[in-house]
Amino acid sequence: MALPTIGNLFMAFGLLSAVVSVVALTWGHRAGESEGESLTNIGYLSTFAAAVFLTLSSSTLVTAFFREDFSFQYVVEQHTTDVSSLAWLYKLAGWWAGREGSLLFWAWLIALFAAWVAFKRMGITDRLSNVALAATNVVQVAFLAALFIENNNPFKVTPPDWLNPATGELLVPYAMNPLLQHWAMILHPPTLFVGYAGLTIPFAFAMAALITKDASKRWVELCDRITVFSWLFLGIGIGLGSIWAYVVLGWGGYWAWDPVENASLLPWLTGVGLLHSFTVYRRRNAFKGWAISMATFSLFFVILGTFITRSGVIQSVHAFEKDPLSLGYFLAMMTGVLVAGLGGLFLRWETFRSEDEFDSLLSKEASYYFNNVIMLVSALVVAFLTLSPAFGLREYGPATYDALAHPIGILYVGIMAICPILSWRKTEGPAFWSRAKWPLGGAAALAVPLLAIWWFELWPNRFKGSVKVLPFEQAIYGPETVIGLLVGALAISLPIYLFIDGARKRAAAKNEGFGTAFLAILTKARTQSGGYITHLGIGIILVGLIGSAMFVNDVKATVAEKPGEKFEAGGYTFTFKSVDQQTLPNGDVDTRLLFDVSRDGRVIGTVNPGQLRFARQGQVRLEAAVISEFLHDIFVVFEQASEEGLAMNVKINPLISWAWFGFALTIIGTVLAMWPKRAAAA
Amino acid sequence: MNKRAQTRLIGVTAIIVLAIFAIVFGFAGGDSAVQRGVSEALADSALVGERIKVSGIVVPGSWNKKSNPMIFDIQEKGSPDGPKLKVVYAGSVPNTFGDDIEAIVTGTMTAGKSLEADVLITKCPSKYESKQGATTVTSLLGAGDNVVGRPVKLTGYIVAGSLSAPGGPVRFRMQAESGAGKDIPIRYDGAIPDGFKDGSSVVVGGSLDKAGTFNATSVSMSKADSK
Repeated sequence: MALPTIGNLFMAFGLLSAVVSVVALTWGHRAGESEGESLTNIGYLSTFAAAVFLTLSSSTLVTAFFREDFSFQYVVEQHTTDVSSLAWLYKLAGWWAGREGSLLFWAWLIALFAAWVAFKRMGITDRLSNVALAATNVVQVAFLAALFIENNNPFKVTPPDWLNPATGELLVPYAMNPLLQHWAMILHPPTLFVGYAGLTIPFAFAMAALITKDASKRWVELCDRITVFSWLFLGIGIGLGSIWAYVVLGWGGYWAWDPVENASLLPWLTGVGLLHSFTVYRRRNAFKGWAISMATFSLFFVILGTFITRSGVIQSVHAFEKDPLSLGYFLAMMTGVLVAGLGGLFLRWETFRSEDEFDSLLSKEASYYFNNVIMLVSALVVAFLTLSPAFGLREYGPATYDALAHPIGILYVGIMAICPILSWRKTEGPAFWSRAKWPLGGAAALAVPLLAIWWFELWPNRFKGSVKVLPFEQAIYGPETVIGLLVGALAISLPIYLFIDGARKRAAAKNEGFGTAFLAILTKARTQSGGYITHLGIGIILVGLIGSAMFVNDVKATVAEKPGEKFEAGGYTFTFKSVDQQTLPNGDVDTRLLFDVSRDGRVIGTVNPGQLRFARQGQVRLEAAVISEFLHDIFVVFEQASEEGLAMNVKINPLISWAWFGFALTIIGTVLAMWPKRAAAA
Repeated sequence: MNKRAQTRLIGVTAIIVLAIFAIVFGFAGGDSAVQRGVSEALADSALVGERIKVSGIVVPGSWNKKSNPMIFDIQEKGSPDGPKLKVVYAGSVPNTFGDDIEAIVTGTMTAGKSLEADVLITKCPSKYESKQGATTVTSLLGAGDNVVGRPVKLTGYIVAGSLSAPGGPVRFRMQAESGAGKDIPIRYDGAIPDGFKDGSSVVVGGSLDKAGTFNATSVSMSKADSK
């Protein structure tokens, strides 16, 4: 039997197992706890079987990549031509480099998540978990069925005229997109997909809670960690994508509001709302409707993202071809998720009404509420702006997104910053001020250097970026960015204060040293400490974004290709030294320029921006060179050679290292928050 | 919930949502565009003064890269006899710009039915193929009936003056050496890569039919010529 057929067969068995699991679990649930036990067991076993079959199916595809088996059309289209030491990684990455393989990868991950849930709950097989497992498998069936649509199937056989029958040599110029052949791009899709697939689980448990009419916090406790885990991976995936964009795409930015980027952002935004709803659910037995709708919207946006990127409904740099069948299919899946989640909530509203109430806008509940509102509305607006041209409406440019994201982001971080020192229900003025005193003082101290940076480094470079600023935003640019920095300062100082204050109090109460108490808080109260570190990271990211996204100095220059020729950009002098061109064994041509960089007559380093021309794909990848300094990155791109000389593009990106550092902190914080408790809740 | 807190909550929510609406629909005009085809853009006078995004094929010879602003014509993809839209573009020209490539331009329609564009993106169909393992025109012609209907990767040079519009029986002719030797007619209706011109060294995939015409399914520049 031909290998593609075997892969397809394994995939079909996986689908069959998932169907059996759904049927058995539903039937078992109906039959009742004792009568349905054997059926329920079949449901659990079939879940494991689905994971095994999809692992085998995926292995077939991965093996084909490593053997360069050109009988798979998908392997032809996505095989790597790389000859570097990373070539094996790119072979593996072929799995998720294209539409068909990435859908299989995704289904495989859902199967793993389902198997994990089944493994954790197989000793207990409570009704809630059983129904949740069935719901997970329903989503899985929908995904796997999509894989059998011609366009999505990774096991298509290569058309005979693509290959030379005598030599087996390829006659078509297909290979993996060279832009994807980069370490960050290898990691970016799988981490994103882990997040996407994982968000199936909170939705499944929300459905289970609705179906079993169990409004207690049990379902939240059962899927809380998986949700944080998925959201974390989504965040890491987005971050890696930004790093990739910054380093590889060569436009010196990391976020362009491209439809595909937006697609990954949508579930992340509602994921923030979901996590915070879970917190209120667990601690106050409230926000039940929010938790269920956020779980629903998160999965909805995950599928919408697939819809945007994979159906070709929106043209983007990722440019998948238009595919009406998948379009209708994913549209139906989205509708199904929304109807099930929100419709179920409507039917069960009496059961899931929240018990907690709040009395004032200055309360923790209100800040959580605005957190949810802002996240949901932002996601809906981004979705609208992204999809607008598909409805024949206007197409919006990055300046519109920016004009929305800047003020909303600053408002959001402000609410986030203040939340931990608000009380539940109602915050009394004096109590608030006694808690706010120190953080405000700290923020004021931090604001001095930040405002100095703003005055000397940022403001003089306003409106010099390649992305335009809408006129109305130009009018408020000064106050907007200053308020942003002040909010950032508060968001940084507050969690630091909370740690110091907590450690001080604990040290006094338990008669420990300050350091011991601090460590105890970090290791014992992990959910809270992790949350604070994440908040600290977000504050630092805000400062980094205000600098690097709002005050980029973008300079284009042409310099003659003669040693000693100079050009100026942003206070730096670049002196051309040499050019080096090499043809790699696979025919790719690597061109590198060498410049000395100096400031005020003093050489501070060299840069070697270049271009890599990929032979088979006929594409060019810009290889940017970056010098990182504390206050800014100097980002240098060699755009093209022309009659006038070498066209160069230099971008001075202020405070960008702050954004990366804050990003790392948020990851550390989230990992800390989801680290399993020693005595796991049964 | 306390009535007053609830009213305030709804009030603040409404303000946030309204502010977002105001930004999207009130202020984003300068940064948003509607997508239109070339003929729609020319026909619809309501589009004058509007910001639109048009994609089309650059009409060969209609442009001069050196002039500033650069002026060129685009036509609807796949309709070489269709109307032409004049584009006036001020800005840096991507190095992939050229004849017959697909250009996506965004700008304002003027009363004179031209588009004042400030954004120009090109979709580059250029592709390159290795000559290695390819059959030469001479050996294909010598192989006789043995190769009829078989998939062949053929390499050679474009006969000067032979390039013509798609749709006809012959798109171009190829010969073994530049400007010398017997030639072979190539039928091909797809997009021609950037840089395809008289004397170019090219690689085409396809098969020979009984009448002696080579039906190409893919055409590429040969790698040796690409730099």
